[in-house]
Amino acid sequence: MKRTAQIALLILTGLGLLHTALFTDLYLRYVKEGLRPLLIVSGVLLLLLGLAHAAFDHDTGAKEDHDHGHDHSTAPRIAWLLFLPALSLLLYAPPALGAYTAAHAGSETVKQQKGFAALPATSPLPMTLTDFTTRVQQDKERAIRGRTVEMTGFVTPGQGGAWDLTRIIFTCCAADAQTVKIRMYGTPAPPANTWLAVTGTWHTQGALGTKSAAAALDVHGTRPIAQPVNAFTDDLPLTPTR
Amino acid sequence: MPKTDELLDVTEAVAPATVHPPERRRRRLARRPPPTTAVVTALGLAIAAFLLSGTPWLNGPAVAAWRTVCLAITVQALPFLLLGTALSGAINAFVPADLFTKVLPKRAVLAVPVAGLAGAVLPGCECASVPVANSLIRRGVTPAAAFAFLLSAPAINPIVLTATAVAFPGSPAMVLARLLASLATAAVMGWLWLWLGRTEWLRPVVRHTGHQHGHSRFTEFRLGFQHDFLHAGGFLVLGAMAAATFNVTVPRSVLDTFSGSPWLSVLFLAALAVVLAVCSEADAFVAASLTGFSPTARLAFMVVGPMVDLKLIALQAGTFGRAFAVRFSTATTVVAVAASVLIGGALL
Repeated sequence: MKRTAQIALLILTGLGLLHTALFTDLYLRYVKEGLRPLLIVSGVLLLLLGLAHAAFDHDTGAKEDHDHGHDHSTAPRIAWLLFLPALSLLLYAPPALGAYTAAHAGSETVKQQKGFAALPATSPLPMTLTDFTTRVQQDKERAIRGRTVEMTGFVTPGQGGAWDLTRIIFTCCAADAQTVKIRMYGTPAPPANTWLAVTGTWHTQGALGTKSAAAALDVHGTRPIAQPVNAFTDDLPLTPTR
Repeated sequence: MPKTDELLDVTEAVAPATVHPPERRRRRLARRPPPTTAVVTALGLAIAAFLLSGTPWLNGPAVAAWRTVCLAITVQALPFLLLGTALSGAINAFVPADLFTKVLPKRAVLAVPVAGLAGAVLPGCECASVPVANSLIRRGVTPAAAFAFLLSAPAINPIVLTATAVAFPGSPAMVLARLLASLATAAVMGWLWLWLGRTEWLRPVVRHTGHQHGHSRFTEFRLGFQHDFLHAGGFLVLGAMAAATFNVTVPRSVLDTFSGSPWLSVLFLAALAVVLAVCSEADAFVAASLTGFSPTARLAFMVVGPMVDLKLIALQAGTFGRAFAVRFSTATTVVAVAASVLIGGALL
C-alpha cells in the first residue's frame, strides 16, 4: 500500500468516525452511547496521523519501485480492507438492526428480580418491554393485573399474521444484540420495523406471576412514533423533539 | 534505537538490495499468509464493487444486518486498537531495545514466567506480538521466554483486561480468571518448549540491520504506530467479517445444541475462537454476546482466541516457519483449554 493510499485511508477513517460520532448520531446504530468520546478521539487521532504522514514523510515514495515495494514505508496489503468501514461510514451507512435480526433471535430470558416496588398510579403506565415481562412472570403480587400500560418498540411480524412489539438491546455493540419481544393481540400486524407506542393490558394466558405467564398484550391502541434516539437501550423512549 | 518496523514486521523490513538467497526464500515463505492476501483482495474488490453499484440486494435484510454487525464490531474495536498500537509503538520507539534482556533472569526456567508477566507491559493485539517476539529472539532472549511473552502479551495487557471488564460488567471474576488462565497457559507453553522444543523447528534466525539513523524518535513512533494500526486494522476488518457472517447466518438453535453440554460447549467455543479470529482487544465483547454458554466456555473462548487463531497461525508460519506454527498452535490450544477448564471451574 503506497503513501497516498495510506494517507487517504487514515484521513477517510478519521472522517468516518467523526461523521458517525461527532456530527451525527449514526454511531448509536452500531455501538453503545458510552463509546462516543473514544470514537471522537480516535477520529481526531487518525486524521492527525494522516495529515502528519502527508506533511512530513516525503522521502519514501522513490524506494517503492524496487522489488515488490515492500520497504518500511509501505503498509501490508490487508490494510486495504480498512477502506470498507471507512467508506461505509461516510457514504453508505448500514441501517439499524431491525425485524430481521429480531425474528432470528431467540427471546431473551429475563433476569430474576427479587422484590417489586409498587407501580405508579399513572395510566397508561409507561413501561419497558423487559420490565413488563419481569412483572408478568415474576411479581407474586400481580400488581400488573388490569393495569393499562404503554410500551414502545418496533414491529416484528411473526407467522400467521401474529406480530411482536420488539426492542433490540446492545450491551456494547450490535454484535451482542439481544432481543426482547412482547406478543401483541387484537390488531392486525403493522408493517415490519414500524416504531409504535402501544397501550393495552396483559393478555390472559398462563398464570400471572409465574413463568407460565405469556409476555403478551391485548392491544387497545397504537400510535406511530419516530424511532427513539436511544433505540437500542432498555429504557423508556427518548424521542427527538424538533 | 531499532527502527520500529523492524520490530513489527521483520518480513517486510529486509532491504531489497541486501537480500541473500536464504533470505529471499524466507521472504517468500514469510508472505505465506498468501491465501489470506488473495482472498482478501478478491473479497475487498467484490464488496467495493457492490458498495459502489448499490445493488438492491445489498439492502436485503440479511445483508443489511451483516453490514451493520460487521461495521459495529469494527467501529467499537477501533478505539481499542488505536490505543493498543499507539502504546506498542511508543514502547518500541522509546524503550531501550535491550531492556528485556537485562531484566529477564539468566536461568531460562525462571525467565519464562517473568517474560509471561512482562507481556502486560506491551499492550497490543496479537498481530503485533508475533514480530515483537521474533525480534526478542533475535536480540538473544531465549525462545521459551519469547514464546511465553508472545502468548501472554495479547491476552493480559491492561487494554484487553479493561475491555474484558467493560464487556462483562459486574463480574470481576471473569477478568481475574482470564488473567490467570492466560498466564498459566503462557508459562506452561514456555516450559514445554524448554522440555520438548527443538531449534530446527524454527526457521533459522536472520540478522539484519533495520536501524536507520537520522530519524527522530517521534517520527519512528508515528510511523510504527501507523504501520501497526493499518496492519492490525486490516485483520480486524477480516475478523469482523467472519464474526458478522457467523452472527447473522448461524441460527441460534445450533448454539443452543452445544451450549447444553458443559464439555462440548468448552470445545465448541475454543474452536470458534480459532475460526473467528477476532482481535484480542475485541474478543471479550464477542464472548459476552454468547449468552447461552457457561462462563467457563466463554473463558476458553477468550483464552484460546488471543493465542491461537487462523490469522495468528498464518503470521507464525510466516515468521517462525510452518513446522513450528503447526506444533505450537496445536499444543497451545490443548494447554489453553485445560487451563480455562481448571481455572474457570475454580473461579467462575
